[in-house]
Amino acid sequence: MVNPVFIIVVLLGAGFLLGLFRKTGISLARVAGLLALAFPLYVSVGWMLHFIGQTAQPYVVYTAGTVPPFSINLRMGPDEAFLTAAINMLGFFGFIYLFRLFKSQGVSTIILYLVLFMGLNVIVMTRDIFNLFVFLEIASIALIGLVLVNKGIDALSAGFKYLIAVSVISSILLVGIGFIYYYSGTLNIDGFIENNSLVMKGLSTAVFLVLVAVVLELKAFPANGWALDVYQSAHPGISALISAGTATASLFVLYKLLPFGGHLWLQVAAVIGLVTFVGSNMLGIAQKNANRLLGYSSVGQIGLLVAVIGFSDDLGSHLRMIFFGLFISHFLSKAGLFWLSGMAGEEEISKWSVLRKKPALLLIFGMFVFSLIGFPPFPSFYGKWQLVMDLSGNGQILWIALILLGTMFEGVYLFRWLGFAIKHEVDESKAPDTAAEKMIPAGAFALLLLGASWVSNAYFPGAMKTSFLPLYFILFLFLIDFLPLVIKNTLSILSLGYYGWRLYPSIQDDTLRLVFAGIFLIGGMLTLFAGYSEKGKRPGFYPFALMMYAGLIGLVEADNLFGFFFAWELMTMGSYILIIRGKKSLVHAYNYMLFSLGGALLILFGIALTVAGQPDISLSMLASPAYPGWAYALLAVGFLTKTAALGLHIWLPGAHAEAESDVSPMVSGILLKAGAFGLVILFLAMGGGEAGRHPLLYALGWLGALTALGGNLMAVFQEDAKRLLAYSSVGNLGYILFAFSFMTHIGWLTGLTYSINHFLFKTLLFLAIGGVVMRVKTHNMYEMGGLIKRMPWSFIAVLVGIITLAGIPPLSGFAGKWLFYNAVIAKGWFLQGALVFFAGTIAFLYCFKLIYSVFLGQEKDRFRKVKEAPVWYIIPQFILIVGIMIFSARPEIVLKPIGALLSQAAFFPSEPLAWENVTAYTNLGYWSGFNIMLVIGAMFVVLLGWLLLMSRKAQKVKQFNIVYAGEAPFTPETTHFSHNMFAPYNKALGFLIHPVATQFWLGVNNTFHALAESARKIYSGNGQSYIIHIVAYIVVVYLILS
Amino acid sequence: MNLPGIEYLSLGLGIVLFLAGLWGIIHQKNIIKIIISFSVLDTSIHLILVSIGYMRNRTAPIIDSAVSKTDAASQVVDPLPQALVLTAIVIGVGITALMLTYALKLFNEKGTLEIDKFKSLKW
Repeated sequence: MVNPVFIIVVLLGAGFLLGLFRKTGISLARVAGLLALAFPLYVSVGWMLHFIGQTAQPYVVYTAGTVPPFSINLRMGPDEAFLTAAINMLGFFGFIYLFRLFKSQGVSTIILYLVLFMGLNVIVMTRDIFNLFVFLEIASIALIGLVLVNKGIDALSAGFKYLIAVSVISSILLVGIGFIYYYSGTLNIDGFIENNSLVMKGLSTAVFLVLVAVVLELKAFPANGWALDVYQSAHPGISALISAGTATASLFVLYKLLPFGGHLWLQVAAVIGLVTFVGSNMLGIAQKNANRLLGYSSVGQIGLLVAVIGFSDDLGSHLRMIFFGLFISHFLSKAGLFWLSGMAGEEEISKWSVLRKKPALLLIFGMFVFSLIGFPPFPSFYGKWQLVMDLSGNGQILWIALILLGTMFEGVYLFRWLGFAIKHEVDESKAPDTAAEKMIPAGAFALLLLGASWVSNAYFPGAMKTSFLPLYFILFLFLIDFLPLVIKNTLSILSLGYYGWRLYPSIQDDTLRLVFAGIFLIGGMLTLFAGYSEKGKRPGFYPFALMMYAGLIGLVEADNLFGFFFAWELMTMGSYILIIRGKKSLVHAYNYMLFSLGGALLILFGIALTVAGQPDISLSMLASPAYPGWAYALLAVGFLTKTAALGLHIWLPGAHAEAESDVSPMVSGILLKAGAFGLVILFLAMGGGEAGRHPLLYALGWLGALTALGGNLMAVFQEDAKRLLAYSSVGNLGYILFAFSFMTHIGWLTGLTYSINHFLFKTLLFLAIGGVVMRVKTHNMYEMGGLIKRMPWSFIAVLVGIITLAGIPPLSGFAGKWLFYNAVIAKGWFLQGALVFFAGTIAFLYCFKLIYSVFLGQEKDRFRKVKEAPVWYIIPQFILIVGIMIFSARPEIVLKPIGALLSQAAFFPSEPLAWENVTAYTNLGYWSGFNIMLVIGAMFVVLLGWLLLMSRKAQKVKQFNIVYAGEAPFTPETTHFSHNMFAPYNKALGFLIHPVATQFWLGVNNTFHALAESARKIYSGNGQSYIIHIVAYIVVVYLILS
Repeated sequence: MNLPGIEYLSLGLGIVLFLAGLWGIIHQKNIIKIIISFSVLDTSIHLILVSIGYMRNRTAPIIDSAVSKTDAASQVVDPLPQALVLTAIVIGVGITALMLTYALKLFNEKGTLEIDKFKSLKW
């Protein structure tokens, strides 16, 4: 191992020597600078590798030939090795990023750069508090010198404010250090911690001054305006160094010095950190300038890391792992984002759509954003999970709530930004700067992020490792994204099939899981089938489609809560990208993501309150949560965001309706079942019997009934065919929720039958309508009409679909209805049951509207030549129809084993459904899907035959060969009564669908934005106000502490 | 009658100057005056540090004919704070120089040194 003191030697030496290059040329100086920065990287990475996997003693460098406290010593332990490696990695790649800039700036800028990184390395390694001060100052001076790289008044004035603020803060630090020496007689950090306690009043004040200064260096909210200005105005390459590099060093300073303050200061750091995390992220939601937004986000993330250090006592041996996860995500992503900002060259976040011209940049941007918020498989996901679990184990519930709240705020602005980049209109005249020297650092940090993700997974404690197999396949799909669509689509379909084949043996006895796995995988294959009709390569579609399916199947596969949540987040991420692909989906995908993120955070909260720090995280833990009431409620609401229960449904119509034709069936027919599956898992754990009368279930039952009514009623008044289907999904998921919350044997059979039915008919309907929409290029039903002659196959599909939906015999919808009435009567929920019954009759209205407005009535002129929907749409539809037929005629194939499972596993053994061949019996009666099919089939054939017989001599009339109300119509529009078809009902019942939920969420949104808008006015831009903030902050913290 | 020791005087003066400097940084509108205020603040810290190291009835920590090596520990004041002050002075000079550079550039840019005129970035 190279002695770490050579890091200083080389950087300082190179700095001095470069002075000689002033005349000879910048090119040589640049190369020399890069080499000089490669050396510390080599040294610290060497030390890091040395420490990995063994408990070696830290290496200590003694200066001046003597030991502390008479000399300064530097330490290179595992922590130091890792952090200096990170810092030097940043130094190396950051230098490459600025390579071209250095050419115009001259040698002195390179010298400043080297000095900055020398300072940061020493700050991490030194164990002497005064030495620490000196190098903090050196690093600050170098940094503020580097800010001058950007010409113009903004960077200048920001740099000056920063300089004044940092000077005041370090003055306070220096006074504190002086008094620490006065009271303790040492400047050595270890010596101080060993020999001193804070009983002395004066000493505790000295420690206060030192620690409060360090906290302020870390940009504690709200005394951080000076830092925001620099983040915004400095060259992005420099801002990256501040956000990732300086902050890293300062964090470690806090970690080193915090033991001075004992337990009290740990709590102080936790509070300060969380206030910063929540406060800064909240103020960020009103920010539109990219770099300043990154500043808010940096401040927030660092606040979270400060809080993690403050939680040291609670986290125990997990501290390093949690810190690693959160830190490395912030470090890599934030540096990367600042670099991307320089490449995008746009200040407004809405103009980042320019990244679309280089899809690789967009991909990296997405990675960084998801990793900041803590999505899998990125390290922050692991860190946040463990942090929340450990905090709940120590009963720190309020802290968890704050962390999740801050994350939510962060999501609000980061996903707005990501959405803009993916979807906002793009200015054709601009292009991102993709010079090699900028691509290399950004790409390298993206790769490092993937590597860190792998490391996080590999070293995550316990048996919680997640299979990365699907992730590798997704990565593979990214790599082959340039190939033709046929290949990618085929591979995707095959992979789902293979996964099902591989998974089948492990779940074949668990019919519940089998049903959902079937919905996810078979549904996935069928809907992917439609993709063959797409033209072009469809870039970026398959990785995310498969990510969604990987998440969905992961839910089924998961045997522990971690795996479940991992899969849940994966599914959310993939489906978000799928949804946002739609032409007008920008705002809808954003809504979807916010509700999903909120839901996911509630689920995480619920899991935390379930597990509460215990090592066992298997799904069975849900049966006995540490805080049952809260855990169940949070989990239920979390899952309901995905099933779009009334009040949480406002994202669904837009997201489902505006998605691409083959994405709508994926997200409506299939994805919604994820929420249903979550509820299944949750309710199963709550158990039948006494627990089945849990007040929460009663409330959910009502919610389900109201959702069914509301969803169906809203569907009736839609003019947009896909919106109609989307609202219908809201209603149908209401049925499912209602049925499951019965917590009885038949109730559950009802719920599962509904789930299967909804998958079959909604996928079918969305595929059919999607195919129609592809041809007619409009969603508005009143513009269509008479399409039966043009699209007979689609017509048949829709007809079968609505018969199933409406629950008309002989199709399987009726099976659901029959079970439903049995369940309601047995349970005695008559009032709710009546509501759902009423909702069912309302469904007839929109079913009729759908088939009448689109396929019947008068054919419009502009559609006289449209063709049938693409065959790739028709094939999966007819496979689904076959599925419906089988399930209708022989429902016992599925329902019998499920019933057996519900009884055997002692979930709901009482009052089961008895099967005798094809006939089902309950206490109330019997029903045979097969016989009904026969009877109705026979009636159908007879009637059809009779009709054909009678109509042999019927005269065929042309479209306008009629007289209507005494007039001969001459355009199809005048006789196709379709627009606002149910106006009378609207008059009678319209008040029921007043958009209360939309207004409520809009109000929430506006309130927070207004709050953020007015609160951030404290960052007045006046350098002196920032100093007042700092002074006031110190006073307030002091007063609170004393 | 015991007068308060020199170290208290210097410490008290240091604290007064510290507050005065801080006040100046917050209150003065002219950037040069702000920088001067910072210098006052900086100097006050040097005073505080030196007074911390002072021990009554002892001499300067210079080993020569007056103070022998063996007696040094009991005769001289603590030399460390003085060494710290030296370092702090150097750093202070560096920072002041940087501030003045900024002031120059700010003046070149806008033709004024009023700090209130440099509020283009906010919120």
